[in-house]
Amino acid sequence: MTLSLRDSAHLISDPENLKSSVLEVFDMMLGVPREAMRSRESESDLAGAESVTAVVGFGGILSGACVITCDESSARQIASRMTGMEFESLDDVVKDAVGELCNMVAGTWKSKVPDLASSCGLSVPAVISGRDYNLHMQSPEFSLVQMFTFDGTDFRVSIVCDELL
Amino acid sequence: MPEVQALIVDDSSVMRKIVERSLRQAGLESLIVVEAGSGVEGLEVLRSRRVDLILSDINMPAMDGLEFVRQLRKQQLAEGVPVVMITTESSEEHVKQAIEAGAIGYIRKPFTADQVKQKVLSLLPKA
Repeated sequence: MTLSLRDSAHLISDPENLKSSVLEVFDMMLGVPREAMRSRESESDLAGAESVTAVVGFGGILSGACVITCDESSARQIASRMTGMEFESLDDVVKDAVGELCNMVAGTWKSKVPDLASSCGLSVPAVISGRDYNLHMQSPEFSLVQMFTFDGTDFRVSIVCDELL
Repeated sequence: MPEVQALIVDDSSVMRKIVERSLRQAGLESLIVVEAGSGVEGLEVLRSRRVDLILSDINMPAMDGLEFVRQLRKQQLAEGVPVVMITTESSEEHVKQAIEAGAIGYIRKPFTADQVKQKVLSLLPKA
């Protein structure tokens, strides 16, 4: 059977699917109630700040990536919420936490699109940190970007992928 | 509940910590946790000690969780020990692959401590 994403394009491009995936992960794994999370479609400017970017690629019937980016302070706050520990710096545990968060958001988002659930595999997370770096994705045809805020913590979640039709 | 020795296999130290915390919240006071960062490390652990429960991620570098479970069953390293897969992949096909490999339980990430508790307590022998 040849699978087509024609019937799933509206689910992939629906910002509500991405938003509900993020809220589900933060509620269950970080104890952040859904009502405490705010989202918006405009982007914040992280240029010049120490930041962390986690990438989980997906391939199969659809190729692309889920990307989470936040500043150093937000990354430490996210890791604290996940582990119950306090972090003074952007150490390996903090990067691991942001990578796992990205992994869970990608998996949850994918599970909301039946055609992707079993025909699209996820990579292990890759995490980049530093200042003024660029993440180059090869000619993404489609992208969804949302900013989220809770308790002074800001982060950006993106889905970039092939053309949907 | 008597002493329980659990092997947690995940390439993420954060996820190993979260799973351990969930197990402790399940009321397993006499819990001894052994950690492994890959399927290869997990097999090494099982060659030297007996555990009562194994919880493993699937998507890991070096040796993924499905191959880890196939190998531990093939090498008879944990006979009769329940294996629970904890993973973001949750389609019917992935569950089927996990069961065929030798797992008997499946928990999808993200999860609550209560979901881990219910799954684990249903698999461990009653005191």
